[in-house]
Amino acid sequence: MTSKQWEKGVTLPLRTFGPVTLTDIVRYQGASGDMNPMHHDDALARSAGYPEAFGVGMLNAGYLATFCTDLFGTETVRRFRTRFKGLVWRGEVLHAAGQVRELHTRGDLTDVEIDFTLTTQDGRLVVEGDAEFAIPSEIAVTAGKD
Amino acid sequence: MPIEWGKIREYAVATGSNDPDYLQNPNAPIPPTFLSTVVFWDQPGRGMQTPEAIAALAEIDAGQGTDIRNVLSVEQEYRFHGPLPRAGERLVLTHRFDGVELKEGRRGGHMVFSRFAVEFRDADRSLRAECLYTSARTSKAATEESRS
Repeated sequence: MTSKQWEKGVTLPLRTFGPVTLTDIVRYQGASGDMNPMHHDDALARSAGYPEAFGVGMLNAGYLATFCTDLFGTETVRRFRTRFKGLVWRGEVLHAAGQVRELHTRGDLTDVEIDFTLTTQDGRLVVEGDAEFAIPSEIAVTAGKD
Repeated sequence: MPIEWGKIREYAVATGSNDPDYLQNPNAPIPPTFLSTVVFWDQPGRGMQTPEAIAALAEIDAGQGTDIRNVLSVEQEYRFHGPLPRAGERLVLTHRFDGVELKEGRRGGHMVFSRFAVEFRDADRSLRAECLYTSARTSKAATEESRS
């Protein structure tokens, strides 16, 4: 991806995660330290009116983070924001999508602002957010220069 | 909070990454949401236990209790300053209260939105990262709404 030219309005290549399993959920919970039982205890989730335990919002955010680091590199993140809009159920396949909103060049580095979403295979919104990555200016195309 | 390579590898794999920058570099940079693992070292909600936060909550008469089933995470944001933290570094934590807000639910009941942050500083006390949290505590009626 290092030869990629980033410019305003560019659509990021789609990426798929899942289907999400209970193993994926408990592995993330163990890694992150968020052991909220609503994500793996079906009986507790049912007692609160849910059909079963549901996925972890920060795992969904983490998939979007991987979507981004695979595109922009692991050393470039400056800001990463996710809003949790919907629940994920076991077995669901998740689609990461995004677009470049703006670029700001400052010398050798260009800040790329992107908007992204994570949706289920049925098109239901799970997470939306935005982020900023500082990438080498030689792989960015600033507005008007194209 | 020590930034540990093993924890970075575990976290990267758990979030679907197999990037060698995480898996093969003993001084790996942290993934964008890695600082959520702060819970192994401190309670990120300590910003909500400050006198300022307690007074603000009392003023809007939150009173929804502490049932974990009624607490929703609404948003998380990570901001980085200077070089991205890497394995081998040690960061010092401070807590911040960013405000509370009462919102009416669409079908009765109400939600209390709480905003708080954890700040991560290095040995020179330079701010290297912030994690901004927004959580909502629902009353029973609002919980019914969120289920539909």
